[in-house]
Amino acid sequence: MSEFKLRKGKEKLFLALISSLTFLTVLPLLHIIFTVFEKGFQTLSKGGMNFLLGTLSEGGIGPAIVGTFFLTFLATLLGVPIAFFVGLYAYEFPNSTLGRWVKVLLQIMLEFPTILVGVFVMQILVVPMGTYSALAGALGLATILTPYVTIYTHEAMREIPSTYREAAYSLGLTRFKVLIRVLGPMAKRGILTGVLLGVAKVAGETAPLLFTVGGRYESYSISLTKPAGAIPLLIYQLVQSPSKADHEMAWGASLVLMLIFLAMFIPLRLSLKEVKL
Amino acid sequence: MNAVETKNLHVYYGNNHVIKDVSLEIPEKRVFALMGPSGCGKSTFLRTLNRIIELREEAKVEGEVRIYGKNIYSKDVDPIEIRKNVGMVFQEPNPFPHLTIYDNVALGVKLNKLVSSKEELDKRVEWALKKASLWDEVKDRLGDYPSNLSGGQRQRLVIARALAMKPRIILMDEPTANIDPVGTARVEELLFELKKDYTIILVTHSPHQAARVSDYVGFLYLGELIETGPTKKVFENPEHELTEKYVTGVLG
Amino acid sequence: MKWDGFKTVAMVAVALVFILFAGMLVTYFINALPAIKRFGIGLYINNIWNAAEEASKENYGLVSAIWGSVYTSLIAVLIALPLAISYSIFVVEYAPKRIKNALIITSDIMAGLPTIIYGIWGAFVLVPFLRDHVMAPLYDHLSFIPFFSYPPVTGYSYLAGGVLLGIMVTPFASAIIREAYSMVPTAYIEAIYSLGATRYEATKILLGYIKPAIISGLILAFGRAIGETVAVSLVIGNTFNITWGLFAPGYTISSLIANQFGNAFIYKYMTSTLYAAGLALFLIGLLINLAGLKLMRGWEKNVRI
Repeated sequence: MSEFKLRKGKEKLFLALISSLTFLTVLPLLHIIFTVFEKGFQTLSKGGMNFLLGTLSEGGIGPAIVGTFFLTFLATLLGVPIAFFVGLYAYEFPNSTLGRWVKVLLQIMLEFPTILVGVFVMQILVVPMGTYSALAGALGLATILTPYVTIYTHEAMREIPSTYREAAYSLGLTRFKVLIRVLGPMAKRGILTGVLLGVAKVAGETAPLLFTVGGRYESYSISLTKPAGAIPLLIYQLVQSPSKADHEMAWGASLVLMLIFLAMFIPLRLSLKEVKL
Repeated sequence: MNAVETKNLHVYYGNNHVIKDVSLEIPEKRVFALMGPSGCGKSTFLRTLNRIIELREEAKVEGEVRIYGKNIYSKDVDPIEIRKNVGMVFQEPNPFPHLTIYDNVALGVKLNKLVSSKEELDKRVEWALKKASLWDEVKDRLGDYPSNLSGGQRQRLVIARALAMKPRIILMDEPTANIDPVGTARVEELLFELKKDYTIILVTHSPHQAARVSDYVGFLYLGELIETGPTKKVFENPEHELTEKYVTGVLG
Repeated sequence: MKWDGFKTVAMVAVALVFILFAGMLVTYFINALPAIKRFGIGLYINNIWNAAEEASKENYGLVSAIWGSVYTSLIAVLIALPLAISYSIFVVEYAPKRIKNALIITSDIMAGLPTIIYGIWGAFVLVPFLRDHVMAPLYDHLSFIPFFSYPPVTGYSYLAGGVLLGIMVTPFASAIIREAYSMVPTAYIEAIYSLGATRYEATKILLGYIKPAIISGLILAFGRAIGETVAVSLVIGNTFNITWGLFAPGYTISSLIANQFGNAFIYKYMTSTLYAAGLALFLIGLLINLAGLKLMRGWEKNVRI
């Protein structure tokens, strides 16, 4: 009888340990969200609309917000078409040598240190062009976006029951038509979700932008071949400054970034069964 | 001329020898049933007739398949062209769920640009649905989705989708395996109508069905063609011992 | 045979991706070469950083950064290990459905959250907290232990870096462990319980069963940690050090690049040195991730019937 009690006791202790460690795992996120809200809100309420629309010397992060949207948009334009086709290739030719190598490469690129991407793009674009540019930043972001979208595309296609693939081919359709006009639309939802999740991710990236976009926070004009700003990059810059006022701005900008991220990520995540990390 | 002839057909899945030296003849505008116990290669064989087998990367085909005299495996033949003339119906009724009933039937015709105007397309869709004996049931809801149809109706929709291409040959892979008895009866009835204009090659795991609907029959066992001939003869007077075991009790 | 339009277009896309990757490797290699030629193997095993306008006086060694990267990632993995395992067990075995979903989504949010937000929180919240409530007491009472022997002045340290990275990579390890857990055949789980095991005992057995997956998850977490840049660079102090002292500031390869690249062009060999650092990171990261993936695939094959 006491043997049983001992086992039961161990059981309870175990559960207590597990639960507290689990709580410890999620505690940081809760604290981060709380802190960013608390400190960021102070800045936002002090600065009001000026914070969101003004330039840096006016005490605002407007150009950074615009920059983030612009860069993310460009990155999507560059990365998604390629990712789409690579994903389809991996789906249609899974056992070919190239197909297998592609899948390995994607896994590697998914985990790739983003700083290395940024430095690479700097070398091949910024140096020859002689200037920081939105294009360079977008290329860096696109390089990070592509593996994500590819994997999501691939998985979304794989979820289509194979009988539909046979049915489409049996109608005498070319491979291009089968994939793009019949099966692709069937996987539309999964692919779109993947794209949006990838976008949410690259919108928050800093390292690829460090040596590519230069950072531009005093004017709103957006151009492919001129420097640009972005919220994460601005935060990074402001945090390292010794000025308290800059730190306050950094919290405000963090709140804006976090809200953008959560607003995109949570609905997308809720509409999926699981995500790729 | 026979609609379909195979000569020394072999199929390998990797190292598995799945179809072993099958040579048979399928006369045109008849129902030919390929029967045999499950897993003996009937579906694989069927898929060689429109080269859909090639969608499976590990599959290798040797030998000849002649459709109206032309070997479809010769180097200069484009499998896509073959499939425009050979329609297929599948074991699991598979109309595309994201397309309307109309779009399902129209898909092959539209993407292959077989007609040149919307009116012609409408006419072709109506014709196909009528031929598939489904028109009356869906004519008022062509914009509806297949999910609202019963299993039997979905299968007839798939038949319409294949018919719309105006093939000469229709392949059917156990078309009634996943439908209720009433739906099954409707599809079987349809075969009697369709064979007036099309050659139908039907794979079935039920010798009863083969006896019911077919004019000619082939008995496939473990990848080998054991016997083939007119249905009546094979069932009443089988030449091979295995065939006899398989068809015993089906008639009478 | 008619022209396969899709294959052509798709192969162009695939080629672009491969070229990009190869381009990166080549770029790093070529640009690292001058420094490697100049400093030899010393580049990777010396701890020295003499930036000088005169090229002959320049001398760089990356071992401090390499040490920092490895040390902080190790700390991160040590922290992630108990957290990720506990979290996965709780989610799979104990949590009621609603909480389970909430927990999984929370973990995914943590995985996707912009790293700069971890960075700012790390710099302004975590570092002071660790300094005042963890490092100071440990230093005051236990400084005879080498790990605690470095005086915590600012709080920017290997420990801060390791803890922050640990928080950041736990979701990745959790995801892998969770997935492995769910791949265990039900028949196996039923067999264990039918022998009268308590939850605790069954969990112990199952953990042993999925051990390769756990290791793989930790390897991949290590790979993530070592590649992280902005968050770590804001809390590690960016100082050239090599010490076991947890409270000492240091450098990681990625924070070194982030920190120094901006002014590297002034000096003749600094840029090349930083590329060499990047190359090292490239290779370390590659090896680690491949190892983790290989381990995972091998285990998956054995588990899937």
